[in-house]
Amino acid sequence: MAQILIVDDSSTVRNEVCDFLKKNGLDVADAVDGKDGLNKLKADPRIKLVVSDVNMPNMDGLTMAEKIRSELNNSTVNIIMLTTESSASMKERGKAAGVKGWIVKPFKGESVLATFKKLAGL
Amino acid sequence: MDDSAKLVSKVLVLDGNPESFDRIKEFCDANDLIGLKAHERNLMSILKSNVDMGAILLSEDFGKGAGSGIALAREIHLVRAELPIVLRREHSDNLDDLSEKDRKLFCAAYTLDNVAKLRGVIDEFIFSRVYPNVLVRGIKEISEAALTSQFKSSEVGSEPPYIVRDRMIYGEVFSLIPLESSWCRGYMMLQTDEITMLNVTGSEVGGSDFRNINSALSEVTNLIWGAFKNRYVDGQEKRGDFLTQVPIIINHQHRYISFGSEDPQLCFKYTLADKDDDNIQPMVIYQRFVFNLNWSPDDFKEVQASVEELVDSGELELF
Repeated sequence: MAQILIVDDSSTVRNEVCDFLKKNGLDVADAVDGKDGLNKLKADPRIKLVVSDVNMPNMDGLTMAEKIRSELNNSTVNIIMLTTESSASMKERGKAAGVKGWIVKPFKGESVLATFKKLAGL
Repeated sequence: MDDSAKLVSKVLVLDGNPESFDRIKEFCDANDLIGLKAHERNLMSILKSNVDMGAILLSEDFGKGAGSGIALAREIHLVRAELPIVLRREHSDNLDDLSEKDRKLFCAAYTLDNVAKLRGVIDEFIFSRVYPNVLVRGIKEISEAALTSQFKSSEVGSEPPYIVRDRMIYGEVFSLIPLESSWCRGYMMLQTDEITMLNVTGSEVGGSDFRNINSALSEVTNLIWGAFKNRYVDGQEKRGDFLTQVPIIINHQHRYISFGSEDPQLCFKYTLADKDDDNIQPMVIYQRFVFNLNWSPDDFKEVQASVEELVDSGELELF
């Protein structure tokens, strides 16, 4: 059972983010792409925050966010994108899909930890 | 011109005459070329190594006896056909008296009395593409930032950016990602060797950790690609129902990769040295840009983001 779900096709990023959050006392699960992320979220109702990459194989992060709202009917989970993308059009699409926030990589844990905890309901 | 964006190219100078060599070296120094001298005995090992070059300046009498340079050109052409060979001759600055087969070995001929002709040849075969300074400088900046963030225990250094015509593959690990915009279409490659990358990442040599270095190189590629896109491509993605593609050919035996284009490639070389341990061999990463499908530098422009839109990387922007 986890509080935060990290979705990224890069094991380097998954390990970096998961390790940082675990060290700071958070329960974390991870997924390798959008499809995997949807399945993990469906299986674990304790997840309150999804941190996801945008560009991934099989299903991208924004499509996953749209499906979280439409197919899973989950309007309460908070979704943050952690990505190299920073275009206004991408962010607009994210906002429309109910994405709560946007982080341009690289990941700097210390600067977002407090907000992550808040968004995870802690 | 800002030196950080000044492009150079390495040329192999095969000339046994010391006086001629000095004149050619002067020419190289004045024309953004790095002249590398080689002896006949170690020429083939250099050509089979990872030294990536823009051209070869060969003297007709280099080697043993008159005309031996032409025989040598035949051997060079077999190993590195993509490298233009410019022939220095004593009395003629053309190739007319050579057989048709031999003429094809060379891109041009020149004499020391007409070195100015060499400038035109270099412009045509090496510096034939315009790479905007702001782009060259920007690529270096975003790449160094990505490498620094990914390899935190390493000091990142770089050499001046350069142009090559080689198609050699360096090392064992390389990534490839398409770059698509209204002004460019092609690829970025990052190439490195496994052992030094394992050392720099602190992974176990010979273990299953090679997947970790694949992932690390992939993430650096992703970071650079993303920053490149945000800075130079945002909103200018190439759109259309039909976008041309050409096959990419890789020959492992010859460590060779071709994108179907003969155009010179823009290269950067980064060195990552461990901050704390001088005994760890530095990792070298070669970064190549191959705009084989479209190159329209006149349409290049840097994306102008408004100040309100600028959010530092790593910072959370809440909607």
